[in-house]
Amino acid sequence: MKKKLISMLLAATMVISLTACGGTQGNTASESDATAAIGTEETTEVAQSEDATIGEAVTIRVFSNLPDRTTGQGFVEQTLFDSYMAENPNVTIEVEALDDEAYKTKFKAYASGSDMPDLVNAWGQPSFLNEIIDAGLLAELNMDDYADYGFISGSLDGFSKDGKLYGLARNTDVMGFYYNKALFETNGWTVPTTYDELLTLADSINQAGLIPVSMDGSDKWPISIYVHDLMQKIDPSIKAEVQNSIANADFSNPVYTQAADLLVKAVDAGMFQNGFETTDYGTAKNLFTNAQSAMFYMGSWEMSMAADENIPAEVRDNIGVFMMPAVEGGKGTNTDIAAWNGGGYAVTANSAVKEEAVKLLNYMFKPENWSKLCWENGICMSAQNYSEYLTGSETPVQLEFTDIVSNATSVTGVTINDLGTSEFKTISEDLSQELAIKSVSSEEFVKALEDACK
Amino acid sequence: MNSEMRKTSTPARIILFVGLSIIALIQLFPLIWLVNFSLANPNELFTNGILVWPDEIQWGNYVKAFVDGNFLLYFKNSLLINTLAVLFALVISVMASFACIRMNWKLSGFVKTLLLLGMMIPIHATLLPNYVIYDRIGLTDTIWALLIPYIAFSLPQGVFLTSSFMSSIPKELEEAALIDGCGIYRIVFIIIMPLMKASLVTVSIMTYLNNWNEFMMASTYLSTKQWKTLPFAILEFTGQYSSNYAVQFAVMALTAAPALIIYIILNKYITKGVAAGAVKG
Amino acid sequence: MKKLYSNKVVILSLITPGLLTFLLAILAPICVSIYFGFTDFAGIGEVKFIGIENYKVLIRDEGFWMSLKNSLLLAVGFIVIQHPIALVTAAVLDKLQGKAEGFFRCVYFIPNVISVAIIAYLWKFIYNPNFGLFNKLLQILGLEGNVNWLGSGMAIWSVLLVLIWHGFGWGMLIYYTGIKNIDPVLYEAAAIDGADFKQAFFSITMPLMKPVIQMNVTMAIIAALKQMETVYLLTNGGPGNETQFLANFLYKQAFKSYKYGYGNAISVIFIIICLVATVVLNKIFADREERRRKA
Repeated sequence: MKKKLISMLLAATMVISLTACGGTQGNTASESDATAAIGTEETTEVAQSEDATIGEAVTIRVFSNLPDRTTGQGFVEQTLFDSYMAENPNVTIEVEALDDEAYKTKFKAYASGSDMPDLVNAWGQPSFLNEIIDAGLLAELNMDDYADYGFISGSLDGFSKDGKLYGLARNTDVMGFYYNKALFETNGWTVPTTYDELLTLADSINQAGLIPVSMDGSDKWPISIYVHDLMQKIDPSIKAEVQNSIANADFSNPVYTQAADLLVKAVDAGMFQNGFETTDYGTAKNLFTNAQSAMFYMGSWEMSMAADENIPAEVRDNIGVFMMPAVEGGKGTNTDIAAWNGGGYAVTANSAVKEEAVKLLNYMFKPENWSKLCWENGICMSAQNYSEYLTGSETPVQLEFTDIVSNATSVTGVTINDLGTSEFKTISEDLSQELAIKSVSSEEFVKALEDACK
Repeated sequence: MNSEMRKTSTPARIILFVGLSIIALIQLFPLIWLVNFSLANPNELFTNGILVWPDEIQWGNYVKAFVDGNFLLYFKNSLLINTLAVLFALVISVMASFACIRMNWKLSGFVKTLLLLGMMIPIHATLLPNYVIYDRIGLTDTIWALLIPYIAFSLPQGVFLTSSFMSSIPKELEEAALIDGCGIYRIVFIIIMPLMKASLVTVSIMTYLNNWNEFMMASTYLSTKQWKTLPFAILEFTGQYSSNYAVQFAVMALTAAPALIIYIILNKYITKGVAAGAVKG
Repeated sequence: MKKLYSNKVVILSLITPGLLTFLLAILAPICVSIYFGFTDFAGIGEVKFIGIENYKVLIRDEGFWMSLKNSLLLAVGFIVIQHPIALVTAAVLDKLQGKAEGFFRCVYFIPNVISVAIIAYLWKFIYNPNFGLFNKLLQILGLEGNVNWLGSGMAIWSVLLVLIWHGFGWGMLIYYTGIKNIDPVLYEAAAIDGADFKQAFFSITMPLMKPVIQMNVTMAIIAALKQMETVYLLTNGGPGNETQFLANFLYKQAFKSYKYGYGNAISVIFIIICLVATVVLNKIFADREERRRKA
């Protein structure tokens, strides 16, 4: 009796999700209506014989933070979805994609509702994950499934809580300065080895009428990371200290103020473009890709610029990268880098097609899929071991990043803005922006961080 | 007025004309700029000079915008949702007005005030609670999630305009119909409604103008493409083509086009409608 | 016949659709807001009742006061800048006749039919400090042209400019209609008395336009309070809370910081402010009207 009820419910949900999908297809509606019809018939069969799962029509709703489906990671994601659908004709994958900030807002709206998509983008950071894991919104994944997926040790830590795994990391992210080699060469500029040199460099670039570093200041997190990057240069063992500071609301360690001071120094030196605090991600990137700025402070996922046909060749072919240089009196060097495993995926706990969504997730992260495609297309460094996919035709910037990662002496891990609650994230990122436009002093900045943890 | 006109000397007239033209230019220039760059190369935006003469006019930007921006689907949705909202708003307003103005019942005054109160409620204050309500009753991502608030927030103005117009219609007309044995519904829809054309046009125009460009609710309540409206083409495109400004401009120009064309064709009625709606509302 | 007009069933059937929409889309959410406003609900997880704590926090919240201040500033901007220009333009336009009159009237209203989403993105480009239209213009005029239009201190004025620009046609149109409703005989009489445009404007147009002006002012204040979309896309309230408005503020609190309960508390206050503002404005204008009539 109970079984019958469940299968009836199942059939009902199938029909509902199918009708929903039938309409959403827009111009391909008739096609999916046909599959829908077949699907409904087969669901009735499923109701009778439990193990008939092949051919059962399934719609997996994906919520992604990669709106650009034709280049970069969005392209890889879409390619994998397309090939999965080709291999599993019964599966329809519906993607809703928004860029980061809009994504996070909409995600919270979804989280407060009951109708979450099945596979979602997630960040392996306490600020994003803790609250939603505690609310039981994410499905637990089976750690053993991924034993031979080649995930770099520690890369899934951010997605784990109390020994349970809730998501998979997409990439190893490294934050650094992309620079335009051609501009550097023609002007006789060299890659700075100390922070002071960077400041002097900024001055000469300004004199040449260019923007030294284009900065995505309206999203604020790049500024927070910049500060943490500096903290790492002052003290490479700061990681545990930051966690303690947030937990105990104690920011008395002088490193915080010192790093904040160094950011302010950069602003004073005219390092960032005019109005950087209101420049969004796309604009900051466009300043660099249109040779308006000599450098761009951003994460390794942007290495795909070197492979992006939309970017003028004279910029695209001349992209190099270097890490935040060492600061005077600091214990770290430029091999103490800002790196973490951030973006990734999770399956929602209340998904009606949870198993199918997990299957799709596992498919995506087979080493020969995400990892290989990303590397071969010069898009990013996966969080898995991709060494067997080296092709010999990598872009220079890919090789530079590989060197940087393999030579790293320490890494920041998840940065300060993402180590607390989501409220701490909002407050601390707002603060770092206010620090950068000097509406708060370094001391006030640190004090306010402390208050935010109380 | 004519006699006064004759007194305005030619130089004064020229000054007036120049002044008005400057204001017109200020009102239009951003749009000219938009169209100009939508036909350029993406990196031409970074050149100096206010407008560019593209080396080659990039019509391809519009093709990309049209295809990748889901233009047709979103346009169809916008048209459908807005038309339905207008129709519902009209019918419901007229019915409610008739009940409050003509029918005899104790609470008629109170109910009318209640409905008019909606005019003062900021629509965005209902954003959060409505999300929860619609989610619980399964309306998110359906056409109703947009229709209900669009109708509801057009209703106060609709009731206001139709009821003030209705009270100026002589009762004798209805009485004659009643003697002929018409029911109330036939009176409302067959006799009264045709008499109110002018105010119905005003209500329709105001409802269209208020809802056509709305996107806060649309972006909060909808998730799949199925019912997304035209403003979405822009919101989605800035992410999708973040590194190609020209295509972003093209999608903006394209999205603005339908409303603009309709406005230019119907501009007399629309300006009249808005004026009537605002002066009375 | 009387009976038919008091038929309860007919009344009910006529009024139900309207009342139901009102209840479902306006009254119900307000009640839900009032409820959540007393909780610390995060959007997910448990709902805990915390009394008036949210409201206590709110009156100490800088962002809240900033929002109110900005609304006030915007209302003043509308009244002091937009409306005088709109009124004078309308009066001048009325004198112009012929094809030009219709042309200008049509052109001025165009920004109003363009989606706010387009307006906001477009102005973001216009304001871009590195390659935007405004700085290019300044450069052509021989200035340095590196104004940070949306930066601290400047942002609120830039936002005001967009809103004033966008709403200009609407205000103009209403004044224009008002002026058209004035009996032309009055102007003719004034012309015979030898009054020029300026005199006619101040002695005929202005006094007769009083009700229209009052209505426009009321609408401007309400519109300033309700502002959301443009700011959301143009600055999202930043830098800091410098360009914050109530609607955007509550959206940010609820959906960015998981403070759903707090966001709803702001909604409640928001509604109260709008109601009070409307009532007070109507009262002020009604009183003046009365006094005028008595005098």
